[in-house]
Amino acid sequence: MKKPNIWTVFTLVILCFFLLFVVYPLFLIMYQSVVDPETHALTFDYFTKFFGRKFYWSTLVNSFKVTICATLLAAIIGLPMAYVLRSYKIPFSKYVNILIVISYLSPPFIGAYAWIQLLGRNGFITQLINSIFGVKFGGIYGFAGIVLVFSLQSFPLIYMYVSGALKNLDSSLNEAAESLGCNAFQRVTRIILPLVMPSLLAGSLLVFMRVFSDFGTPMLIGEGFKTFPVLIYTQFMGEVSTDDHFAAALCVIVVVITLFLFFLQRMMAKHYSYAMTALKPMQPVQAKGSQKLFAYLFVYGVAFIAMLPQLTVIFTSFLETVGGAVYTGNFSLMNYENTLFSKDNISIFNTYAFGLCAICIVVVLGILISYLTARKPSLLTNILDTLTMFPYIIPGSVLGIALLSGFNSGILVLSGTALIIIISLTIRRMPYTIRSSTAIISQISPSVEEAAVSLGASEFKSFRKVMVPMMLPGVLAGAIMSWITLISELSSSIILYTSSTSTLTVAIYAEVIRSNFGNAAAYSTILTLTSIVSLLVFFRLTHNEDVSV
Amino acid sequence: MSVSIDIDNVVKKYADATVINGLSLKIHPSEFFTLLGPSGCGKTTLLRMIIGFNSIEGGTIKVDDKVINDIPVNKRNMGMVFQNYAIFPHMSVFDNVAFGLRQRHVPQAEIEKSVAEILDVVKIGHLKDRMPTQLSGGQQQRVALARAIVIHPQVLLMDEPLSNLDAKLRVEMRNAIKNIQQQVGITTVYVTHDQEEALAVSDRIAVMHDGVIQQVGSPQYIYQRPANRFVSTFIGLSNILKGTIRKNGAGFMLSLGKYQVPMQTLDAAAVAKYGGSGDVPVTVAVRPEEFTVHMDGEGLDAVVNYSVFLGISTHYFLTMADGQEVEVITPSDVGRIIPNNTPVKLRVEADRINVFTDDGEKSLIIQTEDIDRNRTGGDDA
Repeated sequence: MKKPNIWTVFTLVILCFFLLFVVYPLFLIMYQSVVDPETHALTFDYFTKFFGRKFYWSTLVNSFKVTICATLLAAIIGLPMAYVLRSYKIPFSKYVNILIVISYLSPPFIGAYAWIQLLGRNGFITQLINSIFGVKFGGIYGFAGIVLVFSLQSFPLIYMYVSGALKNLDSSLNEAAESLGCNAFQRVTRIILPLVMPSLLAGSLLVFMRVFSDFGTPMLIGEGFKTFPVLIYTQFMGEVSTDDHFAAALCVIVVVITLFLFFLQRMMAKHYSYAMTALKPMQPVQAKGSQKLFAYLFVYGVAFIAMLPQLTVIFTSFLETVGGAVYTGNFSLMNYENTLFSKDNISIFNTYAFGLCAICIVVVLGILISYLTARKPSLLTNILDTLTMFPYIIPGSVLGIALLSGFNSGILVLSGTALIIIISLTIRRMPYTIRSSTAIISQISPSVEEAAVSLGASEFKSFRKVMVPMMLPGVLAGAIMSWITLISELSSSIILYTSSTSTLTVAIYAEVIRSNFGNAAAYSTILTLTSIVSLLVFFRLTHNEDVSV
Repeated sequence: MSVSIDIDNVVKKYADATVINGLSLKIHPSEFFTLLGPSGCGKTTLLRMIIGFNSIEGGTIKVDDKVINDIPVNKRNMGMVFQNYAIFPHMSVFDNVAFGLRQRHVPQAEIEKSVAEILDVVKIGHLKDRMPTQLSGGQQQRVALARAIVIHPQVLLMDEPLSNLDAKLRVEMRNAIKNIQQQVGITTVYVTHDQEEALAVSDRIAVMHDGVIQQVGSPQYIYQRPANRFVSTFIGLSNILKGTIRKNGAGFMLSLGKYQVPMQTLDAAAVAKYGGSGDVPVTVAVRPEEFTVHMDGEGLDAVVNYSVFLGISTHYFLTMADGQEVEVITPSDVGRIIPNNTPVKLRVEADRINVFTDDGEKSLIIQTEDIDRNRTGGDDA
């Protein structure tokens, strides 16, 4: 009964795509990391160079310090935030929820640059503090600044994961614990915390990997405090003494670390995972007395601080500047004239065009891949499953470097084209889309498809006429979230772009580096508005305030 | 127009495990045929082999003498009703039912006509434009049935179609299914684990256990003359007793302890083949209604533990002298419920009880011709 059918053909075509654009470039990086460019002999010099000199290995230590602190702080803010919002009636909690999601969706480096505006050397708050207290506070740069930006940028992710888990927690569990003699505090520590632990871990890992591989933030606010992604970027792209092979070795190190973390999280998730569906979810109750004051202060306070960078950026985008960096104190639209309406501006168009192209490919491939792996299990689709999940743990900058090395020369030259950016965006977003599509498929009973086949539809037709329409609403909702993350992508685009393929995030980054804060603010505002509008469309489509990213 | 299904020596393997090993079955044209068995007995596996969702590793399945082993599902022209109905949630009732017709490129006017007709048959014509989420379980069931039969399939297959409905709706729907099947006259294979449902709807039943067919016959025959101990306890309730039989003139004498029952229904040839002469140990299956309760005289000694009065009948739960517990059902007589702890004598109705070999594998009762409500002649079991 084994004959090549349409599914095998699809599987093979998609496999080839991933072999060409993921496996081959990564292998090239691995090869470069252990081979001498002149003699082509096997060498571990690059690794010994890294671990031999404090100048290099200290960046890894710095990265771990920053990441661990930021992840812990994100959990410390995100966990109570989710719990308070689920258990107490807070006015405008729906909007607080939306604000938290918005603060998460903007790229971290915009947060970094906004905080520089507030707490930097000449920052608004810095000047306020210095004039009131008569001190010479130099602003938060380095370790503290990075941790501040990352924590505030990452806690929404923890919040969303935990909030989702709390939603599936049946209130009868709480009531049962209460009837068995647990007080409110014990209920949190003995029932709720253990039950949300798998989600907390999953969220924390995601935070850890995002923070660990982000380079925009430490680049802007780190100053002397150099982290590992900054080292990779400067070794590959820097103006002086770049070394592709050394950068390749650094890429290998970072992939090994993320791979290890990924399996660690998998093991832990397997150890504690619970199937929960709440028949009677927790109902928020009215808080009383000091409890109420504390809950309100905490929720509104965190939401305000989280939104502060966005507000700063939008506010400064309407300020008149001299040379982009010095504010005159007057309001004007000059920043928008210089960006939105300037003749040579292509980055806005690029952002939309690349994002749309990538999202179309991601949706089509995502539906196909998740269907193949979920419904047509075979050795080939198993390989496909593993392969398509791989980009999940590859930091954006590593993927960018790998793609650039792979398609810079030879038969297939793609460097500098729009295609290579679209491909990198597609690959980066694919694992998320596949996971959400697989979840959607698992909710559709196989007999629905069997019914279509028994009524005379071919397998492909039943896929097209029954599976795809049933999956589409969920997949499209996921696609909007993917779209928002794609337009705020920086770490691979910054490596792959040329002047004609620059995107909004690249433009913002470049303007900030040039200290042209006015233009950067205008670009950021456009990006933020696009995200907010997309998010509102998402809420409209799904009738749901729960976002999964 | 109705077809027969001829299952010949089929084999089903999953990896290394053989689930069905050489099973044969003949299903007559326009028959309502039920595969009945406990969960995991292979009945759904067999059904999915008939429609083609499961591959066939050996043997053949023929529909009207045409081997269908290698015909893809979508070319077999069989209708299927699924356990969870499998209604397409993104299509209206009309579109669900029309799906198979559109697949066959039937002209639009004809589709409208056929769908309207079939919706009237299943009595949901007024729900044509509803979406599936607006339908009750019973209504969804009717849509699934209409969708399966509107394509005029050669064979209708149903996989536990009533198991998701509540008890009352289940009875209503099984009558509806039976009526519609008779109206359409289509050869139907029905899978269920509910013996009452099987007895109610089927022309013939195949009782399956561990991938093997235990018995095929009309509901009445299977209930009254089960082929072995498994069938006698799976279909209805049987009290299993140990005894011996011995030749007694033209018939046999059954001994249950000291209680002696002359039997005229035993098959001398079968007994001779199984146990020879002398005292032959046997397993006896006595249904609760095949006992009679007496205050004195001969019979099995037993004590009433408690009784349940159910109106039409009264159930007694008793303990026999050897400690075995038995259940007895008697018609409710006016003013005569035997009090608890009363010692009584239980006698059996010799013509109705069943006697099996000691291991319970084979019936020793003379095999009479099956009583078929719809046609004359025996079956092929």
